[in-house]
Amino acid sequence: MLSGCAGWGHVEAWEKGNLAKPSMRLDADPLDTRFTQHVYTSKEAASGGGGVGGGGCGCN
Amino acid sequence: MLAATLLLPGLAAVTAVRAEEPPEGVIAFKYGDYRDSQPGWDRIRVHSPQLYVLAPFADTWSIEGSVVSDSVSGATPRMHTSRTGATPAMSDHRSAEDVKITRYFHRAAISLGGAYSGENDYVSHAQSVEARWSTEDNNRTFLFGFGHSGDRIDNTNSGGSVEDQHRQTREWMAGVTQVLTPNDLVQVQLTRSLGRGFYSDPYKDFDERPDSRRSTTTLLRWNHHVEPRDATLRTSWRYYSDSFGIRAHTLSAEWMQRYGAWTVTPGARYHVQSAAWFYFDPVADAHGVPDQLATQLRFGSISGYHSADQRLAAFGAVTLSLKVAYEFANGTTADVKLETYRQSSHLKPGGGSPLLDPFRASFVQLGVSHKF
Repeated sequence: MLSGCAGWGHVEAWEKGNLAKPSMRLDADPLDTRFTQHVYTSKEAASGGGGVGGGGCGCN
Repeated sequence: MLAATLLLPGLAAVTAVRAEEPPEGVIAFKYGDYRDSQPGWDRIRVHSPQLYVLAPFADTWSIEGSVVSDSVSGATPRMHTSRTGATPAMSDHRSAEDVKITRYFHRAAISLGGAYSGENDYVSHAQSVEARWSTEDNNRTFLFGFGHSGDRIDNTNSGGSVEDQHRQTREWMAGVTQVLTPNDLVQVQLTRSLGRGFYSDPYKDFDERPDSRRSTTTLLRWNHHVEPRDATLRTSWRYYSDSFGIRAHTLSAEWMQRYGAWTVTPGARYHVQSAAWFYFDPVADAHGVPDQLATQLRFGSISGYHSADQRLAAFGAVTLSLKVAYEFANGTTADVKLETYRQSSHLKPGGGSPLLDPFRASFVQLGVSHKF
């Protein structure tokens, strides 16, 4: 219903209750992200995309 | 509070923050355990405790940082997946630290970051700067970032022959986060990376790689809140391409379901990649089994760059995960996450590189965090 009231990409401040929930954060758990990304970086050829300046390591 | 969801992630920390005022403080500890195997062979095990702190101060500033200490033991193959060609039992230790300081303005924020990672044969220093700002209605946020890292590789202390080699990498990133509906948030980020220097694996036989690597990464994320179920579907797609010839797609999805103070999050990830142009396949014997001697002879006929590193082969990989978290009334959260990972040529549509043993890994994380 709220979606119907708001235009695509035009959401009013009072409609953002769900957007503010922790589960909607783009990175809900930074340490989880770091650990898993480190694993994938060491086992696959592709990496990155989520940020810059992380530096390298000898694992890959 | 609302703006916390609208802004792009930070630099290496990848932390969503609001621009107009510092976020609330967080201290978190996580212990990670990783182990992998190939048929009949337990390879690597890693213990990884991590500590993370995010603290606001002086009304318009925040500082965040983390430390991690990895202890690695096991053995890795020197070429392809040959067990007989593996390194003898090895152990290594890695420590890494990073710090980021952020200044918040009315609708913008600027961050400076630094990171260090050190092993006995590999040291990396990185710096970054990020600027982000949001529109007046807080429905759109732009991000620009630049990072630089300088790495030094020297394994003479552990009996290797690679001495005082270097690698420099520069990264540029631009992105936008957009509120689509009261239940939908999307983000797209483009990253360009230019690296020069030493890319060969100092511990692998037959490994000589180009001295530059240029990559482009597109990351698309979409979070959708399902209000009737008080759950969130979190999805992402990443496309990666580089001058090694790697083309990779990575898809992930997780369903974050709340049950009162509990949150249960099952997830899945699928990764598929093509092989580097200088990767060479092993040679099979009459029984279709990799023949290491024949492969070495074939290698001798290859001129120019070459690598037998399985990570540069063509394959697919699937991860299944389950995370359970409990939030106490005082702002403390405890969580456990289990993941199982499988990598195989057969998981790539049409088949990947031949004669590679399937690779399996499992990782466990135990964490606790507290907001202040």
